[in-house]
Amino acid sequence: MRTLVKPRSLFIGLSALCLLSIWLSLALGPVSLPLFDTLRAALRLVGVPIAGEGLEQAELILGQIRLPRTLLGLAVGGVLALSGVAMQGLFRNPLADPGLVGVSSGAALGAAIAIVGGAAFGGLPEFFGPYLLSLCAFLGGLGVTALVYRLGRRNGQTNVAVMLLAGIALTALAGSAVGLFTYLADDATLRTLTFWNLGSLNGASYARLWPLLIVTAGVALWLPRRAKALNALLLGESEASHLGIDVEGLKRELVFCTALGVGAAVAAAGMIGFIGLVVPHLVRLLAGPDHRVLLPASVLAGATLLLFADLIARLALAPAELPIGIVTAFLGAPFFLYLLMRGRH
Amino acid sequence: MRLSTRLITFCAGLMISHASLAGELPQRWVSAGGALSEWVSVLGAESKLVGVDTTSQHPESLKSLPSIGYQRQLSAEGVLSLKPDVLIGTEEMGPAAVLLQIRGAGVPVEMFSAQADLASLEGNLQHLGRLLGDEAQAAQVFKNYQQQLDQHQQQVKAAQATQQAPGVLLLLGHAGGKPMIAGKDTAADWLLTQAGGHNLATHSGYKPFSVEALAGLNPEVLVFADRSLTGEAARKALLKENPVLASIRAAKNGRIYEVDPTLLVGGLGPRLPERLKQLTAEFYPAAPASQ
Repeated sequence: MRTLVKPRSLFIGLSALCLLSIWLSLALGPVSLPLFDTLRAALRLVGVPIAGEGLEQAELILGQIRLPRTLLGLAVGGVLALSGVAMQGLFRNPLADPGLVGVSSGAALGAAIAIVGGAAFGGLPEFFGPYLLSLCAFLGGLGVTALVYRLGRRNGQTNVAVMLLAGIALTALAGSAVGLFTYLADDATLRTLTFWNLGSLNGASYARLWPLLIVTAGVALWLPRRAKALNALLLGESEASHLGIDVEGLKRELVFCTALGVGAAVAAAGMIGFIGLVVPHLVRLLAGPDHRVLLPASVLAGATLLLFADLIARLALAPAELPIGIVTAFLGAPFFLYLLMRGRH
Repeated sequence: MRLSTRLITFCAGLMISHASLAGELPQRWVSAGGALSEWVSVLGAESKLVGVDTTSQHPESLKSLPSIGYQRQLSAEGVLSLKPDVLIGTEEMGPAAVLLQIRGAGVPVEMFSAQADLASLEGNLQHLGRLLGDEAQAAQVFKNYQQQLDQHQQQVKAAQATQQAPGVLLLLGHAGGKPMIAGKDTAADWLLTQAGGHNLATHSGYKPFSVEALAGLNPEVLVFADRSLTGEAARKALLKENPVLASIRAAKNGRIYEVDPTLLVGGLGPRLPERLKQLTAEFYPAAPASQ
């Protein structure tokens, strides 16, 4: 099959871009550090024993602010893009995004409950308060997705069309519940809620990072094993099962991985739109629909795009910061349109 | 050495160096909180501010300082890039994780209260006085403020001896459209009550209103705070966007007044007593003007 780019060169290009974005994400920020200091501090962080005099600030900024932030960006971007591929594969529709199975709206509902409810109840214990929001968002996403999946099942079969419609209905329901919480919120909690819905990698800490990294690694290692099955599913459900694929099992895995991945990403960084929908698309336009390429390439592309978006988010208005959800769409949408128009000629 | 041990040593080092510096006063301040920045200016320390958040709009000269964004959405590196000796803000400041990072970088984060009451203001001013090394001045400023408010209460009492408290509503809006009514437990409610008005709204917080309910309450006086327009333009926009307002008593008698919405955030600010006086004069037009 003819594609714009050969898989090999795609991987080389994406890896190079990804490494570049990681380096820029570590080297650039509102605090300007001399390049040489950044380099030395980075080497010390990975355990190279070199003299550390005069590096205190560089090490602190790099180790406690930029590194966790970069890792968070990589994990969130990667897992969102991967979930996008899973959903587009499951629904056999390039317009599908992780929101379709209700994970985003469920997470938003969980967050609204945590933000508004948390403000109403006040005195949460110190150690738990900061994690309440993440936990509620994660559980909300998982809960609504489980419900959507349950509603789509009949006689041991999962009807994807019913699931899609159930997803739409539950998204609307969750949306109105969020609306109710918005109404109940006071001015301050309302602003918190609004900003949460636009996502941010701001304030990343290792404590919040580990659960997401583990989930991302798990999903990123598991899904590519099912690339062949996903390719077969492109032909249709019955065709795939004639080819010997356990279609029901596959659907369950796809929904589970998406709920887990997007739930964890949203819990750590708030709602970041666009990546899950468009990154798989971008990769498909470049390298064709083969999931053996699409899955790993989307992880790289999603992570890279998010890191670049975050660079703009933290530099454009420094010392203030833009919500990253604004930047991802602003950056990705024109590029996507360009590829789309180019593909038509 | 491993990363964590090195960090612990480093943080311990920071604490020690910080403690030895405790005698020295911070010279580079970043402020996240509108009323707080105003008080810093009143206390004569505006020149020490090197960055403010988006709620710090007064005095006008603060707008030329680097903006650290909205107070709930601070960025650790952004704040640190201004090389501050201290970050001041209210409990509305956040996110908590970012404040931790800023503290971790050795910049003390000083917390103040955003409550709209005198006790909180007294605490805030004392705290600012300590940080500025001039507690006597801060105490004097508070005393004057308290006196102004006390005097104002006398004025309200005198007015209420001859006139009934007017029923008032306060609308908070954006270019006239979709205003919200200020209910109980808001700074706006405090302002109306303190000025001698009777807030007709009984809900709590700011809520969107139904035009029918508003017409039904039929307030004698309407106060509005517009976030994007001021003066006559804001008044016109309000009436144009909400034609039903023209039918209430306040509009018929031309008793629609404006307050600056920045007065309603971040606790009691230095400009409040002045506006309270005016508001009382507007609520009680027949009373003799205050001294």
